[in-house]
Amino acid sequence: MASRKPKLAAQAPGIVRRRTLKVLGAFISLLEAVRVRASGDLGFDLAFEALDFPSCQRKAALDPEAYHIYDQTFHNLSIVWYWGALQSLDTERLKRWGSVGSLTRLGGVDKYASRGVGDVPMNKLYVQPDHSLGPEATRYIAMLPTVHNFDSFGYDLRVFNGEARPRESWSMLFDPRARGRLALVDEPAIGLLDAALAAEAIGALHFENIGNMTPSELVALFRFLRAKREEGFFVRCWATNEEGAGLLRRGETAIQSMWSPMYNDLGRARLHVREAAPEEGYRAWHGGISIARHVAGAHLDMAYEYLDWWLSGWAGATMARQGYYISAPEAVRSYLTPAEWDYWYDGQEATSDLVGVDGETVVVPKGAKRSGGSYVERARRIAVWNTAMDEYNYASRLWSRFVAEVNRRAR
Amino acid sequence: MNPRRAQVETSKRYKLVAAALRTNIAAGRLSPGLVLLEGPIAALMKTSRAPVQAALRILEEEGLIRRFEGRGYLVGGPSSKDDPIRRDLAKLGLRISNEIDSALQNRGLWERVYDEVEAAVAASLIFGDFRIIESELGEYYGVSRTVVRDVLSRLHERGLITKTASSHWVASALTAQSVRERFELRGLMEPEAIRRAADRTDYDKIAEALHQAKERDPAMRDAPNWVDFDRALMTHCLMRGPNAHLIELIQQNRLPLAAASRALTKLGLPEDANAAGEYLVLFELIAGRAIEAAAIYWRSHLAGLAEKNLARLKIVAVISDPPVGLPYLTPRDV
Repeated sequence: MASRKPKLAAQAPGIVRRRTLKVLGAFISLLEAVRVRASGDLGFDLAFEALDFPSCQRKAALDPEAYHIYDQTFHNLSIVWYWGALQSLDTERLKRWGSVGSLTRLGGVDKYASRGVGDVPMNKLYVQPDHSLGPEATRYIAMLPTVHNFDSFGYDLRVFNGEARPRESWSMLFDPRARGRLALVDEPAIGLLDAALAAEAIGALHFENIGNMTPSELVALFRFLRAKREEGFFVRCWATNEEGAGLLRRGETAIQSMWSPMYNDLGRARLHVREAAPEEGYRAWHGGISIARHVAGAHLDMAYEYLDWWLSGWAGATMARQGYYISAPEAVRSYLTPAEWDYWYDGQEATSDLVGVDGETVVVPKGAKRSGGSYVERARRIAVWNTAMDEYNYASRLWSRFVAEVNRRAR
Repeated sequence: MNPRRAQVETSKRYKLVAAALRTNIAAGRLSPGLVLLEGPIAALMKTSRAPVQAALRILEEEGLIRRFEGRGYLVGGPSSKDDPIRRDLAKLGLRISNEIDSALQNRGLWERVYDEVEAAVAASLIFGDFRIIESELGEYYGVSRTVVRDVLSRLHERGLITKTASSHWVASALTAQSVRERFELRGLMEPEAIRRAADRTDYDKIAEALHQAKERDPAMRDAPNWVDFDRALMTHCLMRGPNAHLIELIQQNRLPLAAASRALTKLGLPEDANAAGEYLVLFELIAGRAIEAAAIYWRSHLAGLAEKNLARLKIVAVISDPPVGLPYLTPRDV
């Protein structure tokens, strides 16, 4: 063996240990296909660690040395920001900052758009002189806006009037026809708002500001939810795409909170499950990418390259096939077929079958039309953003107890 | 203090006195033949004679000391023949462990239980609403129902717990709203207290605290020593003011905030790096007798501090389980 060693070294002059950028984030954007492609484009290695939201935030806040990049959403940005785990991003170093759309930079897609309440991304975007986050434009931002969407719920057309489509409203969650077949997503910054929008829509409760509830409003909401639980409305609360899609696929639910990739995973159930465009508006969310405070030198250059790569088109096209939008859509056009662009961004009828992220499975049949219309139409109708409200800690405690109770009975 | 409470304290106190004497006999600091008298022991341990009497009886039963013809007891078993030695106990260098010492000198058992319960309840506030089960509390600390009731009524007086319509003791969650309101109250009361204490503030002590802070190793200056500053502010300024009710209100209002802050720091949340610097500015102003400026500065400082505390509270949401784990504190639905 020893005699072979020099020979081997002589034969492999080009082996240099490649540097690695460590990315911590949620399952929304940290796909293996993205990692492989980005690593090839950028010329360095990427290590992705995809966790559920709470674990991700906990790790981000308590173990900031463990990652270089934090890929998360604006509504939990402030949590990690106040732990001092992240650094300000210099927009002058972000090559594609100028192509980021007005939804985050200015607060709405156009002047007619409903801004929504709660954690409006613009309010957390800019680093203010006192190092807090606010909407006043400065040179520095806390997170580069990337993936986002306008969410609602999915429902079984066979339960709700078949072909004659009803007026869609969040109130449908507590429609007696779906009793015993309702599921909410287990996330206090998300599922709690679905429940609150529904409680308000049926006229049971009124919130002064649904994006920033008071303790007594929260107590009222959870008393309402407890009563609904006792009436037998809830099947369970789901935590992952797979779990949520499975509930509809197996017909266990007739209505539930939804994330867009789940619609691609419903199989035959896709024929009778419709994504609602509720009249009260969507529950919106916005993802983004930040850099850990400790990152410097060569790794900082790599981090900025990685951020830039996210807005360069390929990633946005991949996200579009899951139903997500990207903050700089123009670059995406050349990576999507015209039929894909027309369906996902323009709200037009699909002129051919469209495939999903894997490039094979048909996720949208020819002739289908995206619920809610085009990007601008959907973005104009934001009711509330996913939000970690002032009472987030209190709300989370109440939420956990509620979910535990629902899921305990489910077993 | 009511008679029953006093009785409880006495009944536990004698054990502490006995323990202290036992240790010193075993270590030979109380040598055979030494005369033990109630009075000097009581004086040394800063307690009344009753627990000393009880303690000596126990040690006699244990065969560690014996009666003799004179007053008091002699160190040594019933069969020992040592002649009585009379010495000043205070000069023997007796060791009294810190725990026993503080228990004896500063507080009774009741108060020690109170402190533990207060810390536990305060730490639970950030994790939601809890009910306190009286029987579990008594069992956990091995104390009587009377002690439990006394502990709970003091917690009630201090605003940490309330009683529900169904007579359950509950600790309500520390909400962002109540943090905001308590900081608003601080902003109303504390600057005014600084003004009112102007004639009574111990300016030498304030200057001393300032001097000490400036003398610190520059590398250490950023360390979060604001707790010391805050204590100095309370002791040498606010608490010297003429309105005792105001001072009491200030202290009571701060209690849950301070408790939550301690609990958060214990969970590993970073401390506010600027806090000490802000106290320095305040102390400079007070030391320079710029009282009005100090009051105004303090008010704006508290407004900023409120926002920082709210952000700090919000991030606790990512910590799922309350680290309390005490049988007498159970989560409750509201």
